[in-house]
Amino acid sequence: MSGPLIVQSDKTLLLEVDHDQADACRRAIAPFAELERAPEHVHTYRLTPLGLWNARAAGHDAEQVVDVLLEYSRYPVPHALLVDVAEIMARYGRLQLVQDPVHGLVLHALDPAVLAEVMRSKRTAGLLGARLDATDVVVHASERGHLKQVLLKLGWPAEDLAGYVDGEAHPIALEQDGWAMRPYQQHAVDGFWHGGSGVVVLPCGAGKTIVGAAAMAKSSTTTLILVTNTVSARQWRDELVRRTSLTEDEIGEYSGARKEIRPVTIATYQVLTTRRNGSYTHLELLDARDWGLVVYDEVHLLPAPIFRMTADLQARRRLGLTATLVREDGREDEVFSLIGPKRFDAPWKDIEAQGYIAPAECVEVRLTLPDAERMTYATAEPEEKYRLAATAAGKNRVVEQLVAQHDGEPTLVIGQYLDQLHELAEHLGADLITGETTVRERQRLYDAFRTGEISRLVVSKVANFSIDLPEASVAIQVSGSFGSRQEEAQRLGRIMRPKASGRTAHFYTVVARDTVDQEFAAHRQRFLAEQGYAYTILDAEDLPTP
Amino acid sequence: MATFSGYLRSSSDEQLVALLGRRPDLASPSPGNLTSLAVRATGRGSLERALAGVDAVVLQVLEAVVVLDGATRAQVAQAVAGGHDPEVARALDDALTLALLFVDDATPDDERSGDKQSGDTQSGDTQSGDTQHGEGRGDGLLRAAPGLVEVLGAHPAGLATDVPSHAPAASTSRTNAPTSRTSRPTIDRGSTRSRTPDPTSSPTSSPTSAAAAGADQSLPPGLAAALETVLAGEDESSLAGRAILDALTWGPPVGLAPAVGTSAGDAVLRLVEQGLLVRGQGRHVLLPGAVALVLRGGRTHRGVATIPDLDTGSVRPAATVTAESAGAGERCARLVARLARRWEAQPPGVLRAGGLAVRELKRVAAELEVDDAQAAFVVELAGAAGLVGPDEGEPPVFVPTTELDPWLALDLPARWVALARAWLTTTRTPWLVGSRDEKGTVRAALDPELRRPWAPRLRRSVLGAFADAPAGSAPDVDDVLALLTWATPRSVPPRAAVAAVLAEAGWLGILGAGALSEAGRAVLADDVDGATTRFAAGLPPEVDDLLLQGDLTGIVPGRPGATLEALLDVATVVESRGGALTVRFTPDSVRAALDEGRTADELLAELGAFARGPVPQPLDYLVRDAARRHGRLRAGTASSYLRADDPALLAGLADDPRLASLGLLQLAPTVLAAQAPTREVVETLREHGLAPVAETPDGLVLHLERPVRRARRRHRRTEPGAPPSELAALVRRLRTGAASTAPTPSPVPSSGSVSSSDTASSSGSASSSGTALAPGRRGTADPAEALALLREAAADRTQVWVELVGPTGQHERRLLRPLRVEGGRLRAADALRESELSVAVHRIATVTRADDEKEDV
Repeated sequence: MSGPLIVQSDKTLLLEVDHDQADACRRAIAPFAELERAPEHVHTYRLTPLGLWNARAAGHDAEQVVDVLLEYSRYPVPHALLVDVAEIMARYGRLQLVQDPVHGLVLHALDPAVLAEVMRSKRTAGLLGARLDATDVVVHASERGHLKQVLLKLGWPAEDLAGYVDGEAHPIALEQDGWAMRPYQQHAVDGFWHGGSGVVVLPCGAGKTIVGAAAMAKSSTTTLILVTNTVSARQWRDELVRRTSLTEDEIGEYSGARKEIRPVTIATYQVLTTRRNGSYTHLELLDARDWGLVVYDEVHLLPAPIFRMTADLQARRRLGLTATLVREDGREDEVFSLIGPKRFDAPWKDIEAQGYIAPAECVEVRLTLPDAERMTYATAEPEEKYRLAATAAGKNRVVEQLVAQHDGEPTLVIGQYLDQLHELAEHLGADLITGETTVRERQRLYDAFRTGEISRLVVSKVANFSIDLPEASVAIQVSGSFGSRQEEAQRLGRIMRPKASGRTAHFYTVVARDTVDQEFAAHRQRFLAEQGYAYTILDAEDLPTP
Repeated sequence: MATFSGYLRSSSDEQLVALLGRRPDLASPSPGNLTSLAVRATGRGSLERALAGVDAVVLQVLEAVVVLDGATRAQVAQAVAGGHDPEVARALDDALTLALLFVDDATPDDERSGDKQSGDTQSGDTQSGDTQHGEGRGDGLLRAAPGLVEVLGAHPAGLATDVPSHAPAASTSRTNAPTSRTSRPTIDRGSTRSRTPDPTSSPTSSPTSAAAAGADQSLPPGLAAALETVLAGEDESSLAGRAILDALTWGPPVGLAPAVGTSAGDAVLRLVEQGLLVRGQGRHVLLPGAVALVLRGGRTHRGVATIPDLDTGSVRPAATVTAESAGAGERCARLVARLARRWEAQPPGVLRAGGLAVRELKRVAAELEVDDAQAAFVVELAGAAGLVGPDEGEPPVFVPTTELDPWLALDLPARWVALARAWLTTTRTPWLVGSRDEKGTVRAALDPELRRPWAPRLRRSVLGAFADAPAGSAPDVDDVLALLTWATPRSVPPRAAVAAVLAEAGWLGILGAGALSEAGRAVLADDVDGATTRFAAGLPPEVDDLLLQGDLTGIVPGRPGATLEALLDVATVVESRGGALTVRFTPDSVRAALDEGRTADELLAELGAFARGPVPQPLDYLVRDAARRHGRLRAGTASSYLRADDPALLAGLADDPRLASLGLLQLAPTVLAAQAPTREVVETLREHGLAPVAETPDGLVLHLERPVRRARRRHRRTEPGAPPSELAALVRRLRTGAASTAPTPSPVPSSGSVSSSDTASSSGSASSSGTALAPGRRGTADPAEALALLREAAADRTQVWVELVGPTGQHERRLLRPLRVEGGRLRAADALRESELSVAVHRIATVTRADDEKEDV
């Protein structure tokens, strides 16, 4: 047997991980193939136009791709696939965005026919200005991002050679005292910087903030950081103060509460998308300073209006950070064209194996509903079914059992429905954090949890993201937003910071059997299962009674 | 001058065998003698057929011989290639073998002597080429087989040979052979020029300049002079004339004259006046062949047609070709099997015209996950291999045939070879499915109309192009078409058909990655064993190794063995195929496996046997969970039910032997199911002293009423009773007998439509006019029998009715007494006209004994 890779005609690549050459092969195919699934034996990669264009953008050519496939493939590679790879990759860069000394931003075509085709498309109407000659056409500077996005959809992705503005210089340095950049973080920063702009995909708890900080240090310019919420903004601030030469005075918060604009400004998505009288009132922020770098935290959550608003930030370096580039709205393409291609990605299990994130054990606990509830469920209206199943009364008891099982370990109980959470909090004698909890109260509770003052916390979806609770080692989710895969990943991420004691994190999902709850759970688990997190399924009856 | 049949007669046996071998239509039915062979070989149909199979060079030499009206080998080589050329020599041999050319040995030597000079300047290899064919007969004058000129068409080699070149002064050229001997010296001029067949370097790329020097030698003096003037002139009119001649020189020789008054139009007029152009129909003008030949520098062709090179494309690695061929073949065999299995379960109806409904084809395409064209191919392939076909039912449906099971029992390579051979030889044309015929109806798959006798030939010739090319070359449609255009210029298949054959060969795996696979090559060579082994060699190794993963997927890193494949087929959903097989376990797929009678433990044990390690917990749980849910709902057949709120009421009923006929079964304490219908249940229970009532589905009491049978009122048909008056008339007619022998139309159309009334009157017989319309009922129209009858009558001195065909085709019936039949003529006495007559026997349509006729009357 030779070669660890099997190339299927449907453009999937199967990598046998136990093979001697598996690592070399993974490194070789990573630049152009998208990791789709990483379960225990065989990882599935897929060749997509986007991935192949990413590879072109990163300086790989079709010949290299073909060579890699031929070198590692166990069986002859389908000829049609090789032809396809070459053809797809040849489409990239036939159009270039260049800076013309006279006309400003110009779309330059190496192939006039492509330009003609693109110009005839309705989608480019209004984005392009005067035609200069057969191969050049002026682009409205504000439409640089939008145009790239449209060209990608048309299948002629443009190579952006127009460069970046340097932005206002501001010295930032990493202060690596008592800690050091991890190798993969360094790779991520290098990959990003080399490519100019792009997205870094790292599991929760793998230190994305440090990648952001390192990128800022590398840039040493004024930086705008966009985050999901205020708590997260404060965590960023604290982290930056700790890890870099920046002081509190240099970092501003631009949120609902405060409107500070400083060399490094952290803004929430929410405040940017606030509208008054139909217009966005805080757009001025984007032009308030000559930003040299824009960091998008949790880029998979980037709201659509922000896409539009930040489309004209194309002249500035952009860094996207995320744990899962899976968007439930399928807008991965827009992330690619507006922020940039994926610059770094690593299977979660690999980072776990290196010890940088805690090993996690995922368990699905299936609860058989009592007959009365089954009857109610069976006759319920379809839109009520999920709520009924998710908030089944029996779950309280299961949670109790689980909490008792992990007595003393910092435990989070996560749910979707407030009634259920109130009940659970009462049941467990734990504090509750929901959207209604004030920021001050939230901070107090999180701090108490961090210091070990309290070991149980019941939280709603406000805690899905960007809450740094390093010591949490048990998470129990009782209900969620239907089948959202990325929510599942984020929730697991809450407990994946490496523990001081090196213990395994536990992630429980309590599910009502034979209901839509179970179906949604199966869908939610797919992302993590594909990352190699195998779920064990237990019957609630088999749990040890407290 | 020797004749064609003379040539055949003087041919050796080997040559005749070769001829009959190459032109099988001459051999069957076997001709009586060499003369009739010669006649058949020069028939238009046979010549067309022979020409359809010759390549471009053979066609060129034939054209050259026709244009030159007989030529030696050297002259032909000169005219086609500009000198000796091995391809031309080969083509000449080929044409002689096919008897499209023949050697005219009888041509006096002195007539050829001048021509032979042309060879003198050439080296000895011309001579060697000349002597290749036959026993030194090759150096005779070659002539085209009779009839070939007509078959080759009006303008062979783009030369208007049928146009006389009228020199204003003298016209010595023959009408049908304008390139008379006198014009031949032009050919010699070529011998000193470059003999390369490459048309670009041919001296004739600028024909006018090339011909200028010798124009005077080859044409009637007047014409030559005129031509010289045009070619040498520097004035505007000469330039215009030259442009026109240039345009027509290499054919087609017909041009549309521009309007008079334009410079070009005037130039044409002048050329016509000079005799360099000839008026054709309408505004067309033609360049006479003789003039064109001079302009071409004595060449009939720019150069030898070169065989298109299929070697130019990229060469596919052998491993890729083999693997893709095997992959495609495996897929194709799988699709055919799936189609058969689908039709086993749900046989589709046969359309009235005999095909498969479009809707069913679409369903097949959806189920096989292929496009419509491929679905049609799979259906047609299964049909061609005899694996599916219409049954005898009423209405008929398409079902798997008895051939299916033996085929399925074969191993994959043998199954594939069976399909490949069926495809290669079938006359079906799957690519036409979905197109519209002349009437605008969509052609259906499996429609009997889709047979085309040429389809197998087409496949062989298309794939033959691959077989001749170096291994691994992957020519595209245009390359193949170019090659076929060279190989058989007279019968180039349509591009769409060639493209379809290539696509089908690709689907079938005869081509892999666009190149001919080794297995395909063996199939082409009818090497069954070779094809089987080579196909088997290309398949990925069989693995019985299943990698089960926590995300409920499984991967077979190769081709699964038969048992494993069957297991995965039922228990999983296939996610991707190729070198490996990726499958996913879903609740539904596991349920399907359980439906087949496996238990959860059996299924897990089977999976565990193939798995490299333990079955992952999630999969184990999935299977057990599916098993737990499996069969929780039970369904069965019952005709009616009994229910009661009080279980005590029902207790015992099911076991009561007196109620056994009702087939009662206790489903629940308050429900019994019954096999007997509601009425019977109710009545039987009433007979046993119980008081049941029937109920409607929503629980209302239903009062069962006795069904009262009523026969359907028959519509009584009134007997067609004839009124007595009519019956009486019938009896009267029967009595007179006239009615039954009333004139009836004859089956012989000519006599039924005797247009000239004089036929009857000339016969002078009332009875003949009456019965002339039914001749031959007792007589005979068979010529042999008719002659026998006439001879018999002559011997017996009896009279016969003879139907004669007149000179204008009308029939005439006469009562004759045959005297004798000899020399193809009948001599007979006509008693009525008191005369004797003699007619050719072929004018006798029928003969009837006179006494038979009498019985009729």
